[in-house]
Amino acid sequence: MNRRGFLKLATGGAVGATLLQAEACGMPLRQQKVAKVPAPRLEIPTTCDMCVNKCSLIAIVQGGVVKKLNPNPENPKSRGMLCARGNAGIQQLYDPARIKHPMMRTGERGEGKWKVVSWDEALDFTAQKLSAVKEKYGPQGTLWSSSESFQEQFFRNLGQAFGSPNSVRHPTLCLASVNLAYSLTFGTVPSFDVQNARYIIMSGANRLESFITPDTMDLVASTTDRKARLVYLDPRFTKTAAKADEWYPIRPGTDLAFILAMLNVIIGENRYDKEFVSTYCSGFEQLAEHVKQYSPDWAAEETQISSKHILRVAREFSDAAPRAMYYAGRRSSWYRDDFSMRRGQAILNAIIGNWDRQGGMVPNAKVELGELMFLPWDDPTAPRVDELDRNFPLAAKGDGVYLRLRENVIAGQPYPVKGWMVYKQDPVSGIPDQDKTLQMLRQMDFVGVIDIQMSDTAWFADVILPESTYLERLDPVEMLAGIRPVVVYRQPVVKPLYDTKPLLEIVQGVAKRLNLSQYFDYTMEQWIAEQVKALPMDLPLEYLKKHGVYSSAQFPKYGTTLTPDHRFVTKSGKIELLSRRLQEAGYDPLPIYHPPTQVPEGQFRLVLGRHAFFTHASTTNYPWLNSFSTENTLWIHPKPADSLGIKDSERIEVASGSGSIRIKARVTPKIRPDCVFMQHGFGKHSPWLRLANSGGSDAQLLETAWDKVSGGAAMHETFVKVRKV
Amino acid sequence: MTNRPKRYALAIDAKKCIDCKACVVACRAENGVPLGKSRNWINEELRGDWPKLMEVFEPEQCHHCEEPACVRVCPTGASYQRPDGVVAINRSECVGCRYCMIACPYDARFFRDDLGVVEKCDLCARRLDRGELPACVETCPSKVRIFGDLNDPTSEIHQILEKRQYRVKKREAGTGPQIYYLL
Amino acid sequence: MKTIEWQYLIVSYLFLGGLSAGLFFVSALTELFRNDGDAPKVKIAHIGALLAPWPVMIGCALLVFDLGHWYRFYKLFLHFRWESPMSIGSWLLMFFIGVSILYAYGWIPGSMREAAFERLPGHLQFLRILNRDVSGWRRPLAIVGLPMSVGVAIYTGVLLGAVQSRPFWNTNLVAQLFLFSALSSGCALLILVLAASARKFEIHEFQSLYLLDISFLTLEFFIVVPYVIHGELSAEAVRESLNLVLGGPFTILFWAFFLGLGLLLPWAIEVLEALPLLLRHAQLVPRVDTATVAEAGTAVFILRDPGGQAPSRKLHFSRSWAVAAAVLVLMGGVLVRYIFVFAGQMSAIH
Repeated sequence: MNRRGFLKLATGGAVGATLLQAEACGMPLRQQKVAKVPAPRLEIPTTCDMCVNKCSLIAIVQGGVVKKLNPNPENPKSRGMLCARGNAGIQQLYDPARIKHPMMRTGERGEGKWKVVSWDEALDFTAQKLSAVKEKYGPQGTLWSSSESFQEQFFRNLGQAFGSPNSVRHPTLCLASVNLAYSLTFGTVPSFDVQNARYIIMSGANRLESFITPDTMDLVASTTDRKARLVYLDPRFTKTAAKADEWYPIRPGTDLAFILAMLNVIIGENRYDKEFVSTYCSGFEQLAEHVKQYSPDWAAEETQISSKHILRVAREFSDAAPRAMYYAGRRSSWYRDDFSMRRGQAILNAIIGNWDRQGGMVPNAKVELGELMFLPWDDPTAPRVDELDRNFPLAAKGDGVYLRLRENVIAGQPYPVKGWMVYKQDPVSGIPDQDKTLQMLRQMDFVGVIDIQMSDTAWFADVILPESTYLERLDPVEMLAGIRPVVVYRQPVVKPLYDTKPLLEIVQGVAKRLNLSQYFDYTMEQWIAEQVKALPMDLPLEYLKKHGVYSSAQFPKYGTTLTPDHRFVTKSGKIELLSRRLQEAGYDPLPIYHPPTQVPEGQFRLVLGRHAFFTHASTTNYPWLNSFSTENTLWIHPKPADSLGIKDSERIEVASGSGSIRIKARVTPKIRPDCVFMQHGFGKHSPWLRLANSGGSDAQLLETAWDKVSGGAAMHETFVKVRKV
Repeated sequence: MTNRPKRYALAIDAKKCIDCKACVVACRAENGVPLGKSRNWINEELRGDWPKLMEVFEPEQCHHCEEPACVRVCPTGASYQRPDGVVAINRSECVGCRYCMIACPYDARFFRDDLGVVEKCDLCARRLDRGELPACVETCPSKVRIFGDLNDPTSEIHQILEKRQYRVKKREAGTGPQIYYLL
Repeated sequence: MKTIEWQYLIVSYLFLGGLSAGLFFVSALTELFRNDGDAPKVKIAHIGALLAPWPVMIGCALLVFDLGHWYRFYKLFLHFRWESPMSIGSWLLMFFIGVSILYAYGWIPGSMREAAFERLPGHLQFLRILNRDVSGWRRPLAIVGLPMSVGVAIYTGVLLGAVQSRPFWNTNLVAQLFLFSALSSGCALLILVLAASARKFEIHEFQSLYLLDISFLTLEFFIVVPYVIHGELSAEAVRESLNLVLGGPFTILFWAFFLGLGLLLPWAIEVLEALPLLLRHAQLVPRVDTATVAEAGTAVFILRDPGGQAPSRKLHFSRSWAVAAAVLVLMGGVLVRYIFVFAGQMSAIH
C-alpha cells in the first residue's frame, strides 16, 4: 500500500474510531464540536419568593442558567431546608408562559387579543388612563390592590402619592381576624414557640400540609420525638390529623364552643395561672363570670366532641402550661365569627400564662434596619370607598375589607371607583364570588395589572406590565420578625430573561408620567444602602451578598415583656381579656358563642384548604408542582356519595348561590359527611396557563360573607348542592 | 456493617414524613428527571374507617443493595456498584434492554423514552463527590432522611442505627437493601 | 412493576427462539439417531434444518429493536457476564445462529446450490468461494448444535427464572417448561409443514414426529402441574403471584387456552391419531408396513404384522387433524410465553 492509501485508511479509521467513541460517550454526533471549558459553577445566595415564608436559598448557576436551588443552612428560620415550591422556583423563572413584554389589549376585555408594546407606550398609557380617572372622579376613583412582596411598599406608596386612600391587600382574605384578635388582646401578634411546647391544640391550621414554616418543622420534630402532644380539630383528616396524637372531626364553626368550654373548666377548676393573670391581665372577673355558661356538656352538643375529651384536654392543657399553646393559625377566613373564635384562643392562651415564655407565645423580636428618607406626600384626603371607619372601625386600614369594598364599588357608592391597578394579585381567582369580581372589573374604565404570568385577572387587563421574577431581581432587604428574627437579602442570580422590570422601576416609570417622580427619586441600591447601615457588621452589604441572611445569636429571648412596668399596647396597658376597644366600638368585649348556620338538608358545607406544593392560585402553572395534581377534586364522604350515586373520579356538578362548577369527585372517608372540600387554585380561565379549565374554581362557588368585626372574608359559610352529571 | 471502606446508606424516619413532596421536586430539579417518571416517591397508606383513620407516608427510592440484582443481570455492565456502595448506571453503556427494571424488587428503575436508557436514584453521586448531601436529604423540611457512611462510627446514620430499631423492605428478595426504615 | 416493560416483541422473540431451538433439536436428533436410508427421518431432518435458522433470526431482530438503543446491541458482545442470563443468552444465540445456518447450508441439495451460484451477477462472483459441499458436516454440526439448541430453549426460561423479585417466575421449572414447550413447538411446525404440503402423505414421518411431540407435551404437562402445586405450597409471595392464574386476569387464558387447547387437546388428538402406531411400538414391533388409499383429506392405512399375515387393523390418519393439532401446539407455545412474560411482570413481593 502506498502512502496515500495508508493515510486514507488511517484518517478513515481515526474518524471512524472517533465517531464510535463519541457514540460511546453518549454524545449525539451532530454536536461533536471542539470541547468547551465548562462554565464556572456559581453559588449565589438569595431569598425565595414562592410563598410568604421567604426562606433562604443558594442558587446554583452555571453559564447563566439556574441549575438548582439549594437550601441555605445559615437561616435559623428556614433551617436548611427548601420545600417543593422552593425547588420549583426554577420553573417560575423559565416558565415559557411568562409575560415577556409589556402588552396592551386590542380586542374586548377578556377576549385575549394582545399586542406587544414598548415600556414607554405601556407606561404612557397607564399614566394617561390613571390621570383620566383622576380628572373625572378624583384620585380616590382608583383602587390599588396588591399582595405582599419585598417591593410592595413602592406600589402602595404610588397609590398614596397619587392621592387614593383605596388600598386593599391579601390579609382581608386571610389573616385579618387572627391578627386583629391577638392585637386587641396583647397589643401585638405573637409567634408561637412550637419547638419548646409540650401541648399544642390546633383548630385547622394544617401546619403539616398547607404550608412549610418553621412551625411545621418544629411540630414534626416535637410530635414525633414525643416531646409534645398535638390535639387537632378539623372537619377533614388532613396530614396534620394523621400525625396528631388526637384528632377530632369537629363540627365546622364550633371551635369557639370548644375554647369557651376549656375556659370554663380551667377557670372553674382553678387551673389558670393566677399570678400571671393578676399581674398582667385585665377583665378576668368578667371573663370568669362569662364562661360559666359554657360547660363541657354544652360544648359537646355543639362540637360533636364528647365532653369527656373536652374535660381531659382542658386539664392536660393547663397541666402542661406554660408550655401549652392554642395555636392561632394564619388563615382565619373561615366563619362569620372567626374573629370571636381567635379572641377566645387569645384569652385562653393568656390565662394559662404562656405569654413570652418558652414553649408559649412570644412577641416578635426585630432586627433594626435603617430607612431611606424620601420626600413624603400628603395623605389622601378622601375617605376609603369601603367606608372602614363606619363599617369596620377596628379593621386594619391599609388592608381594607375586600368584600365590602367590592360591594360598594359595584354599587358606585359612596363614590365611583373606575381605575384599578393590581400588583401581584389575582382577584378573579382569589376572591370569593367570582361573578361579582368580574362585574367590578367590567365596570372599570381602566385595569392595569403588574404580574409575571397571565393570571385570570391579567387576562382582563387593559395593560400588563411584566415584573421580573425574584431570581432576576434586586429587592429591598427584608427583616422577618419572629422568635428568631432574621434579615434576608435578595439579589439577582441571573439577568432578566425578558423585557421585564422590577416593580420599583415600573412605579418610577408611572410616577414620572404622573409628575410624582420626586417621591421615588432613589435607586434600589440607595434604598438598600440605607437599610443595611443599621446592621452591626463592618461591611453589611458584602456580608449579605455572601451569606444571604443575617441573624443574631442573641435570640431567642423570652420574658422581655414580663416586667412590672411593661405596658402592653392596649387601652389598659395590660393584656385585655375583656377588650375595651371592642367595647367602645360597640362589639362584644368578650367572645360570645353564636352557633354556625345549620347545613340545609341535602346540602354540604364547602370547606377549603391548601397543599404545600401550591401557593394559592399562583403556582399551579408549574409542571414540577402540578404533576402531583393536575386538577382538583371535590372530597366527599362515602356515605353521602353513595346515596347520591356518586362514584370516585366521576364528574359531578357543584352549585351554590354564587355559581356552579363541574369537577371530579373524590370519594374518601377523610372528611365529615356533612362537608365537602376542594383545593384552591384551579378552574382557571386564562388560556395561557397550562391548567386552564382543569378542575373547578372555588371562587365561582363561594358566596360573599365576612366577619363583622375584622371584615375578613368568611369562606366556609357557603353551602353547596352536589349531583351527578 | 459491610466490608467496604465506605458504605453510603439512607435511614428514613417515616413517622416524620408529611408527604410535602419537597424531595421529589428537589430530585427532579437536580437530576433533570422528566415528568411522569420519578427517581423517588412517597408510598401512602390510609388505614381504618371514619372517624378512626390513620395515614402513613413512607419515602422510597433505589435501595442501593448490597447484592444488587440489577447489577447482576445487566448484560453490558452498564449497571454497576461503586466501592462506596452507590449503585449507578453508565448511560453510554446501557442498551435499554430493561432486564434490570424487571430484576429490581423495589421497582426503583424507570425507562427514559427520550434517551433510550434506564435510570434511577444514584444518591446524587455528583453531589456526593463534591462533599454535598443528596438533594432529597438536604431539602427535606422534616428531616426524615439521615444519610451517611455506615462504616464511619461517628456518622449520624451509624449512631442512629445503633440506637434505634429498624426494618428493611422485602428482605425475602435477598438483595440486602440499604434503606433502613426506623421503627 | 409500575409498567410492563417486556411486551409483545419479547414474547415473540421467546417463542421464535424456542421454535428454532425445537426445529434444530428435532432435526439434529433425527439425523443422529436414524438408520441409513430411512427416508422419512431424512425428510424430517432436512426440513427441520432448512427451517431452523429463520425464526430465531427474526426473533433476534425483534429483540434488537426492542432495545432502548437498538444500534448499541453490539455492546452485548463486548462483554461476557456469566451472572447475567442475558449475557450468556446473547452469546449462545450468536453461536447457535451460526451453527444452524451452517447446518442448514449443509442440507441444501448440491444441484440447487450449484444452480444458485451460476446465477450470480458478475460483481458478486467472488462469493463463489462459498460454493462448497458441506453436507459432510451435518453430523458434527448436529452434535455441536444439539446442546446449543437445548441451551437456547432453556435459557429463555432461565432469563425469567433467575429473577427473584418476580415470584411468578422464581422457580427453575420455568426453564424446563420453556424447553419442552420449545421442543414441542418445533415438532408442531414440522408436522404443520408436512401435513399442509401438497405432497403425498408419508406415515412414518408423522409417526416419528407424533411420538416426539407427544413425549414433549407429556413432559411439559408434568412440569406445569408441579409448577402450580408446588407454587401453592411455597412462600406467600409465590402463592400470591399464582393468583394471577387462579382467579386473576390470566386464569382463563392459562387453563382453557394454554393448558386445555394448547396442550391437552393437541396431545389427545395426537395420541388418538397415533394410538395404534404407539401401541404397535409399545409392543416393540420394529416396523409397520403401510398401503395408502387416499380419501378426501384422510388417509387410511392398513397395518400388517411383520410376520406378513393378513391386515390386522385399519386406522385413519387425517391431514386436517394433524394441522389442527400442530396449530394448537404453536398457539399454546405463544400463549404460555405471553402469560408468563406479562403475569410475571405483574407479580411482586409485597
